[in-house]
Amino acid sequence: MKRTNFLLGAVSGLAVVANSEHVFARALAQAPLPGLPGSEKRCLVLINLFGGNDGLNCVVPHGDDRYYRLRPGLAVDRNEVLAIDARVGLNPSMRSLKSLYDRQMVAIVQGVGYPNPDHSHFRSTEIWQTAAPDRYEHTGWIGRYFDDASLPKTNLFKGVSISKVLPEALVSARTDIPSIAGLGSYAMMADRDAAARDAFSRQAHDSTLPFASPYLAHVMAIEGDAQRSSEELPKLVSGYQAKAAYPATAIGRSLALAAQIVGSNLGTKVIYVEHGSFDTHVSQRKTQDQLLMQFSDAVAAFYDDLAAHGNDRRVLTVTFSEFGRRIEENGNRGTDHGEASPLFLIGGGVRGGLYGAMPDLAVTNMGNVRFSVDFRSVYATVLERWLGRPSAAVLNGEFSKLPVLA
Amino acid sequence: MAAQAKVDVGGILRPQGRLDLATALQPYPGTLGERAAAHLLRRAGFGGTPAEIARYGAMRAVDAAATLLAVPNANSIAPPEQAQVDGPLAQRETRESLAALQLWWLNRMLNSPAPLQEKMTLYFHGHFTSRATPRFPRITYNQNALFRRYATGNLRELTHEVSKDAAMLIFLDGASNVASHPNENYARELMELFTLGVDNYTEDDVRESARAWTGWRVVRKGDAVVFDEARHDAGRKTFLGRTGNFNGDDIVDIIFDQPQCARFFATSLLNWFVYNDPEPELIDAVARLMRAHRYELAPVLGVLLASNVFYSERSYRALVKSPVEFVVGTYKTLGLSEIGAMAIPSLAQMGQRLFFPPSVAGWPGGKNWLTSGTMIDRQNFLTRLLGSQTLRASSWLRQLPVAPKSAASVLAQIIVQNDVSPASRSELEAYLGGAGSAALPSLSAENYDERITGAVYLAMATPAYQLN
Repeated sequence: MKRTNFLLGAVSGLAVVANSEHVFARALAQAPLPGLPGSEKRCLVLINLFGGNDGLNCVVPHGDDRYYRLRPGLAVDRNEVLAIDARVGLNPSMRSLKSLYDRQMVAIVQGVGYPNPDHSHFRSTEIWQTAAPDRYEHTGWIGRYFDDASLPKTNLFKGVSISKVLPEALVSARTDIPSIAGLGSYAMMADRDAAARDAFSRQAHDSTLPFASPYLAHVMAIEGDAQRSSEELPKLVSGYQAKAAYPATAIGRSLALAAQIVGSNLGTKVIYVEHGSFDTHVSQRKTQDQLLMQFSDAVAAFYDDLAAHGNDRRVLTVTFSEFGRRIEENGNRGTDHGEASPLFLIGGGVRGGLYGAMPDLAVTNMGNVRFSVDFRSVYATVLERWLGRPSAAVLNGEFSKLPVLA
Repeated sequence: MAAQAKVDVGGILRPQGRLDLATALQPYPGTLGERAAAHLLRRAGFGGTPAEIARYGAMRAVDAAATLLAVPNANSIAPPEQAQVDGPLAQRETRESLAALQLWWLNRMLNSPAPLQEKMTLYFHGHFTSRATPRFPRITYNQNALFRRYATGNLRELTHEVSKDAAMLIFLDGASNVASHPNENYARELMELFTLGVDNYTEDDVRESARAWTGWRVVRKGDAVVFDEARHDAGRKTFLGRTGNFNGDDIVDIIFDQPQCARFFATSLLNWFVYNDPEPELIDAVARLMRAHRYELAPVLGVLLASNVFYSERSYRALVKSPVEFVVGTYKTLGLSEIGAMAIPSLAQMGQRLFFPPSVAGWPGGKNWLTSGTMIDRQNFLTRLLGSQTLRASSWLRQLPVAPKSAASVLAQIIVQNDVSPASRSELEAYLGGAGSAALPSLSAENYDERITGAVYLAMATPAYQLN
């Protein structure tokens, strides 16, 4: 009896030929997307630096005296900064990222934000995830990319969120994206009960249920997806051996799994990873520096691993955070919610360097950094120049593209 | 507007078939029987125990609705210990206090003698959304109590009250809306998400409403709300075609005079209780009823919950169970009397953290509840619950017949009201040690608990059990 029949046709009464080989063969042989040559093999890794990453202590404007005046207890000393030029440099905890920068693998876009910024974590996160600053969307920008690209439903891993809960960015109207906290927890616990599993597997595949429901087909499809994907994922990625030492941190584990998924060639287009919390209202230096170091070291290991498998040019990593923080420090050696902040694009396909405008600390939006690049420009660039898809429908408008990709 | 967004807004689906408008809101005839009674208790509450289903099954639809509406005096309900003035909610131990409050409410849903009151409280929580303010957990309880007080009360009055509620004033910035710097957040959401819907007002209406709402403040760590004349803009405003020196109360009254307001709530309540994406003519019929009763909910719910359309096959299992309905309903179905702390992280994984709606628009519901990730979390919640000692506390599972056929029959009846295919039923019998189960050892004293647990899991993994 095929193990994959468990639950699938099973109790759900779903008429499905639960043959995993067929399902996955189809998934892996998916047609290349129209658009850029080679884009069918590319993967986008999004890292959400949640909580509001303070941009000014991340990409430090060490050439600006105002920065030191406004942050007497918080500023990064000039002699500590990992200088990029005479005006800006990286936080000293990001040595690993600086080394990637020096190898032209990092684009830093400064001053990213959107008009009429919201200062609530909640709403601003939603705005970044749905790419809709002026209305409420039930789908995320990546979810709409999946809908628009009509990726085959049979590919259960076209997108993967390495998180407990599916982030709004990946919510799609038409397809199911798994959120996988880790290989260990993405499993049906009842699978361990052989008798229960076999009972499911012996059930006939009929659907003579004594009721109709508009959601019945959806429930059955999701039950099937859940069962198949949780059962298949560990097998599909089991052949991969990491060739880098990842730090023993949550982000290290997440990116190790991301490299494993990329290297296992499941047809995955987008992987979502979370890191934080950057909500540093109090004693910011200790918290933020540590988080930035964890991020920077994990990303460096990630690209070492990818490169060792020849995948470094296939993977573009893009960071984002719901907002930057207030320019002036508060009374608790921390900073309050702000507005625009820098983000990173990392990978072998990146044209390294500085983009956007350096924050002008003299001309502010009530004490906050004004935005010079709309975050939807970054999304449009990624959609069109990396994933090879038109962006206007997904982003509900045209946004200029940045020359950040080689 | 992106073309694809129109097709599948919010992932909600209308049932197949045609609405019979002429009879839709007339009372469903005859006594309910157990299938319809279970449907009623799932929708108007969080499911029923076998005894409750039997009791409601013997009633006529109008009497069943009246029974559910006979809410005891809200003041008789004891607040959670945590909400006492000197209790933990008054202090800044946020995580623990909010978890305790979540657990208190879940248990109230499970055990309340007035389940409809809790169901409407949950409805209002998702409708008039306010995210918990971690620093002041008690104001979250106060808002919850407000929703419970108005559960089947007057919508217009509730809207007046919630506009001046501390949690709402903080969440949607009403507390920082002052004459010198008007903040439009609440004024906009009041119309867009709470009462009228987009395209039923102008940007000028938002600005003028924001001016009218200036002056409200939250003081004493959220324990008091005051109106500060000095921060209020007392000038003339023009709002939805009327002009005067309006304040916030005037704004609510003008909104509730709009026929669209009744249609908006009618749509929302039909989505909550009957089926998703209801037909415009059904919405209009319920809206007329609502206006005739001057936005009193009890008589409207009395008609709706006894109606033909509510008991129609088109409505049956036509909604997706929310995680809260799934979790509370499971405890209820099993006859367990206390929801334990394990439910809190499970609910978060399934996508529903009480007091933390994902956005000011509330939980989108429908297809959005189910992804392969949340489906695994639902099944694993069942596995954990069934594997724990709580199973022994189930009132009816202990008395399950030993004969596999009878045991399977009881399980299918109680857990999914026989909404299983013949094949699934025989598989359940086989699993329990009946015919065709050559691979399984027969049921014995040693494997009894384990096997019953597995059979309950199988019945709860059916598609019907995901649907309401």
